[in-house]
Amino acid sequence: MRLLPTVLSLLGCLSTTALAAAGGSGGAKPSANLRKLPPGERFNLFHGKATASSAAAPLKLVEADYRALVATPRDYSVAVLLTAMDARYGCQLCREFQPEWELLARSWTNGDKQGESRVVFGTLDFNDGRDVFMGFGLQTAPVLFFFPPTMGPHATPSSDPLRYDFAGGPQAAEVVHHWIARQLPNRPHPPVKRPINWMRWISTFVVVTGGATASYVAWPWVLPVVRNRTVWAAVTLIAILMFTSGHMFNRIRQVPYVAGDGRGGISYFAKGFQTQYGLETQIIAAIYGILTLSGITLAVKVPRIADPKTQSIVFVAWWSILFVVFSLLISIFRTKSPGYGFAVPPFM
Amino acid sequence: MSAADPLQVLASAGKGESTRSVLRVIILALIAGAAISSRLFSVIRFESIIHEFDPWFNFRATKYLVANGFYNFWDWFDDRTWHPLGRVTGGTLYPGLMVTSGVIYHALRALTIPVDIRNICVLLAPGFSGLTAIAAYLLTNEMTPSPSAGLLAALFMGIAPGYISRSVAGSYDNEAIAIFLLVFTFYLWIKALKQGSMLWGALCALFYGYMVASWGGYAFITCLLPLHSFVLICMGRYSTRLYVAYTTWYALGTLASMQIPFVGFLPVKTSEHMPALGIFGFLQLLAFLDYVRSAIPSRQFQTFLWLFAGTAFGVGLLGLVVATSMGFIAPWSGRFYSLWDTGYAKIHIPIIASVSEHQPTAWPAFFFDLQMLVWLFPVGVYLLFQELADEHVFIVVYALFGSYFAGVMVRLMLTLTPVVCVAAAIAVSHLLDIYLNAKSPENPDAAADKDADGKKGGKAGLKSTNKPLVGIYAGWVKSVIVSSFAIYLLLFVMHCTWVTSNAYSSPSVVLASRLPDGSQHIIDDYREAYQWLRQNTREDAKIMSWWDYGYQIGGMADRPTLVDNNTWNNTHIATVGKAMASSEERSYPIMRQHEVDYVLVVFGGLLGYSGDDINKFLWMVRIAEGIWPDEVKERDFFTARGEYRVDGDATETMKNSVMYKTSYYNYQNLFPPGQAVDRMRGVRLPEVGPQLTHLEEAFTSENWIIRIYKVKDLDNLGRDHASAVAFDKGVKKKKPAKKKGPRVLRVE
Repeated sequence: MRLLPTVLSLLGCLSTTALAAAGGSGGAKPSANLRKLPPGERFNLFHGKATASSAAAPLKLVEADYRALVATPRDYSVAVLLTAMDARYGCQLCREFQPEWELLARSWTNGDKQGESRVVFGTLDFNDGRDVFMGFGLQTAPVLFFFPPTMGPHATPSSDPLRYDFAGGPQAAEVVHHWIARQLPNRPHPPVKRPINWMRWISTFVVVTGGATASYVAWPWVLPVVRNRTVWAAVTLIAILMFTSGHMFNRIRQVPYVAGDGRGGISYFAKGFQTQYGLETQIIAAIYGILTLSGITLAVKVPRIADPKTQSIVFVAWWSILFVVFSLLISIFRTKSPGYGFAVPPFM
Repeated sequence: MSAADPLQVLASAGKGESTRSVLRVIILALIAGAAISSRLFSVIRFESIIHEFDPWFNFRATKYLVANGFYNFWDWFDDRTWHPLGRVTGGTLYPGLMVTSGVIYHALRALTIPVDIRNICVLLAPGFSGLTAIAAYLLTNEMTPSPSAGLLAALFMGIAPGYISRSVAGSYDNEAIAIFLLVFTFYLWIKALKQGSMLWGALCALFYGYMVASWGGYAFITCLLPLHSFVLICMGRYSTRLYVAYTTWYALGTLASMQIPFVGFLPVKTSEHMPALGIFGFLQLLAFLDYVRSAIPSRQFQTFLWLFAGTAFGVGLLGLVVATSMGFIAPWSGRFYSLWDTGYAKIHIPIIASVSEHQPTAWPAFFFDLQMLVWLFPVGVYLLFQELADEHVFIVVYALFGSYFAGVMVRLMLTLTPVVCVAAAIAVSHLLDIYLNAKSPENPDAAADKDADGKKGGKAGLKSTNKPLVGIYAGWVKSVIVSSFAIYLLLFVMHCTWVTSNAYSSPSVVLASRLPDGSQHIIDDYREAYQWLRQNTREDAKIMSWWDYGYQIGGMADRPTLVDNNTWNNTHIATVGKAMASSEERSYPIMRQHEVDYVLVVFGGLLGYSGDDINKFLWMVRIAEGIWPDEVKERDFFTARGEYRVDGDATETMKNSVMYKTSYYNYQNLFPPGQAVDRMRGVRLPEVGPQLTHLEEAFTSENWIIRIYKVKDLDNLGRDHASAVAFDKGVKKKKPAKKKGPRVLRVE
């Protein structure tokens, strides 16, 4: 049993009913004269708009532009993102992908000012092109459509657009770039150029130098802590307890902290051997910690108590803690693994 | 006084040094015996059989080694796997395991003991677990003066489920001998470090070389020893002992590891070996500076030297980073890298992410595998902080990294278990040593007097050990702790036995289930099907199946396969995934190109067997999509609502895929019309089952777990198969040929 099936759930942001309810009056009438232009001129027109300034791409389209842009015959390709940015629709995915999309379109268009790859990037918002969304029967947004050329050297037999679904969540610009580049063989593919994040570099520099200065100044006070064996022992034990109580599982799987039990209450322990909640691992880590602490006390502290009476009292206290908590641990494990038959009193 | 005599004898018996040694040997032998016998559940319940998947390849390779000799094995090119590519098997495996069994086999033969190689392979892992227990004893004895700690560690090591999971009889895998080698190499390292001895260092290198020859997990040693040395240097504990031990180990060990063809020049080329090389260089520098320092007494100059050492270390690190980014040194391999960047494999290497051993570990797994050791382990680590000699630092570093890795990947629980056993044994023996002392301190005042004399300087040690050790006064306190720990240890033994018996002793080739009356029922479909292949197909008939079954088909059916568990060629695996995920018309050319004769699928719908191919299918799709994103799309296998379904609502792509068709072909005939149920996924299937055109059913095992289909040859009349089948159906309507009755489930 080496393979684990996982079921992927589609991230739908927007339903058609919501679209219909929220839509205002439709877009402008298709401007027939623009559509009548020969494909070469249409491309020059839109490409000129896109390269007019460095932030012009992707073109913000309205329905008329859109219809003109994708009209057949065309000797160029069009990549259109159909999105719904308006806050009314609550499309988280659209907002998350938008900066990546702009980055991709800008770096492509600015890297190909001559228009050798013959691609136009555009964005059509739901508010500007409701009929287009209806025409495609779209249930979700965003969707990226790629219209291949229908004439010229790179023409494809089908004029139908190719569709890119965002099934895996918001994608990085590079991933989408890869997909678009695949549709455009034998043409230049200007790479995605991410702007240098100056703020991040500066803040890293400041933090590093600040940290170095602070540690230099505080060195006489820090050194005893660094050299203190008890501190190291504590750090080591905490790390070990964290790892053995499944902290890495939480990090990797991103499990919920707690979950409801379906009756309005809170379920602290996940059902099943292979799952756990965040709080659950903290409880387990605490239990391990208490057991470890009582073990240490019994082994190290108790035999160092000089007074017989105090020694007996401390012993009884810590031993009962050990006894009860270990029993509790086993009983928790029994709930996780129902076939487990061992128990220690008092939690039988 | 006849009653006092035996008591006297018993009391004095434990005192003599020689009697103690004899007792210790006897106890160790008993522990080794317990370790071996607790791993025999599967042999007793089932039979002497090789388990699971990878062991079948190791077994096949061992048979090849025994039959053809070592040199042929070394040069082995296997043309019966990865058809049509083949595999340079001799150069791409860790030969330690096979050579070990080969040597044992020939040694027994030389002693005229006739023994089957299969029995050696089955019993190798239990045998070596006995040795591991002894190695754990030796390692623990280096840590503590207490004589009982070693024995407890051996006992824990012998029966801890974390180690049993990979070493039951029949689990003939690299880990079977590797854990022994791991623990023994650590023991030799500690010995070399404590004595600063080249002899022990060389022995350490020798066993390290053996470890490299046996298991890819040797990188754990390669990283842990330099890390230990580095921590010692940072603590200001550089010594000539460390220098001698480390350089001897590194120089000889690296040479030894480079003798393995599969490893070759990796120790000087890849990132995971760079820490060892870096510390080697750094130690040379330190040794030089140490010499200069002893020659020149000036204080300023010394400070300058240490700054110089620090700078050299930083520059070396920077150089390593630059060399890696320039490509002179290969970056971390995917498997290693995914240990640090835990999200990496899921995005970039689905084939690694798909393996369930590579999943992170939830806390119940820790408790399941270690039980009370899981909380005794930190107690032991804390106790080691009291003295914190060089060897104790090793256990602390090992404990930290071992628990991190075990948390990230389930299978690395195996490398954590030895240190848990050692630390927990130190904790328990420390407790018992204190509480089992029959002498009680006389009175508090006397103790207080002693206290004044023996006050330790508390600055270096732990805060808790500033006060002197007094002892335990009350007798009942002693009896309470001793009896409660006796109960806990007993519970631990019962837990280990239960876990071993219930979870780790299933061969997974043969499945066991319970009938309603409670009796055991053996499901032997795998071997039934492989036997059918062996007896009814040509010797060179190529079998296409998902890679999980490649080793088993090679080992049990002895037929060539397209892909197997040695996942060296992702594209080839993706090709098989594509053939399974596409429609028959699309996958037929792929199968013809690869000369596939039979397609084998595993189907658990009838029995409710969860490890079947439909459950693994999405991984096939994903891996195929990684190579052909335009032809295979994961999205197409989900319904519009994002569900993965196999019933009537399944997507068209799903219904037309070869995997779906071969799994459910004819299945509905087992049930009354319209009542076909997939018991695994708990759904009702459509009344009309899938139709096959390019494949025909060849064999279905008793419980339908294995289904084998023959790939049709080209049509005689040059038609495509779909129309040929349609034509045949038309003929059938006019002239009903021999009518097959509905399939009946054979029940015993």
